[in-house]
Amino acid sequence: MLTGIDGTKALTPVHHDAVAELARQRALDELKVLGTGPVERFDRITRMAARLLGFEHVAINFLDHDRQWTASRTSDAVYAERREDSYCDVAIQQTGTLVVPDALLDARFRDNPLLETPAGMRFYAGHPIASPNGERVGAICVSDTVPRPFGAEQQTILRDIATWVQDELALTREFAASAEVQQGLLPKTLATVEGYEAAGVCRPVHAVSGDFYDWYPVRGGAAFTLADAMGKGVPAALISATVRATMRAGSRYDGVAAAVESAADALEADLEGAATFVTLFHAHLKQDTGMLSYVDAGHGLTLVVRADGTSQRLASTGLPLGVGWDAAWDEEEVELRHGDVLVSVSDGVLDALDGTLESLVMVERAVRGAAPKAAAIVEAVAGLAGPTAPDDLTVLVLRRLPGVPLGG
Amino acid sequence: MDFPVSHLPDGVAVLRPAGKLNMVSSGALREAITGLLEAGHRRLVADLSEVTFMDSSGLGALIGGLKSARQAGGDLRIAAVGEQIRMVLQLTNMERVLPPFERPEAAYADV
Repeated sequence: MLTGIDGTKALTPVHHDAVAELARQRALDELKVLGTGPVERFDRITRMAARLLGFEHVAINFLDHDRQWTASRTSDAVYAERREDSYCDVAIQQTGTLVVPDALLDARFRDNPLLETPAGMRFYAGHPIASPNGERVGAICVSDTVPRPFGAEQQTILRDIATWVQDELALTREFAASAEVQQGLLPKTLATVEGYEAAGVCRPVHAVSGDFYDWYPVRGGAAFTLADAMGKGVPAALISATVRATMRAGSRYDGVAAAVESAADALEADLEGAATFVTLFHAHLKQDTGMLSYVDAGHGLTLVVRADGTSQRLASTGLPLGVGWDAAWDEEEVELRHGDVLVSVSDGVLDALDGTLESLVMVERAVRGAAPKAAAIVEAVAGLAGPTAPDDLTVLVLRRLPGVPLGG
Repeated sequence: MDFPVSHLPDGVAVLRPAGKLNMVSSGALREAITGLLEAGHRRLVADLSEVTFMDSSGLGALIGGLKSARQAGGDLRIAAVGEQIRMVLQLTNMERVLPPFERPEAAYADV
């Protein structure tokens, strides 16, 4: 290591390379593309590259520590597993396309052990794939067992396709990060309200959800919300995050109707501007009595499944937020007795079942069939929908714990 | 989705969307409604007899169309809804704002 005039250590070129490789490796790790098995979005790209470029063997390779991962391939061609044998590792050392017309005539490749096999790559052309922050993490390549020509037009196509892969990676990364942020906005446990437990799940059909559930302590108990913004995907998710924040800001109101009316006022212009609307269930629980006051703004999918074997669908009387008419929201009340379960679902649960209100019978059955724990009930209700629900799916469960017998 | 438009003898314009009224197709319905309003029509009916499924985006298109129609001094009414659409309207309490009529011809029988 060199020592500068002021006594600080300067980095040697070797250290520079090591630092650069660390940055490159971290960029690859953040993309989370390794070890996921075949990925259709990559396979679609390599299939198209094969057709456009007239090559049987096309692959997307990522360079990870000392090895190469083949994320997609169009044939059973053999790609190096050791990074030191990888052609793509040479390709990512430069910014442009690497074309190897005949590996046997190229000092960098002629000793490659794979060349000794019948499937060895005599011809190779690869273009680097960069992460969103510009680190070259892998390459897309075409190859053949015999030397072939590869003209300027083919190089342009390969470069364009590499850019397509980059865009896919960037988009996927952004969606994954957005999903993490959104999941982070969901409450985890209801620690402050003794005698009750709550759990929920919010499973988006795309990366992010237009539904959300929420709870937080308020004076004398806790507030609960389940809301569903029109549509799905990012537009709906932006609206749902806005609704969540606005509802929380209204938690200083004592009544649920006042909280919803205040939120509706605050949201009116935003919902109008986005030409959207939101259905919503909002409730306040009084911890000592189990009384739940609630407003249902066009949501209509909340049940109380009682320990005594009965059940009740909570009345929905109000209009959704954002439909534009002078709406008033009536406050209703229901008592949660010991062992009772309140379950509110988004219409994704309906759509995943038969699409009718009969689905609520199945929801009740799932609640009763599950172990008496909020988390287990959530899992059972969400499980009704199966893994391929057509819409965002959200379940919120509030359970009042069974009473402790007096003088026991 | 294509929206055939017909006109009743009393000047009511009838839109007839078909298939699924969802995120994909709801934009076209909105545009068709806007187009009719811009062309001077004031009394509109969405005949939903050929709609097999409507989700929240479809309902949003009807709500948006109703708002536009009323701002223009007109109205949008709906007719011939199937079971699934009726349920969406009931769940959201929107049947109070968009009461479904049996047939398009009945939608403006009161005026």
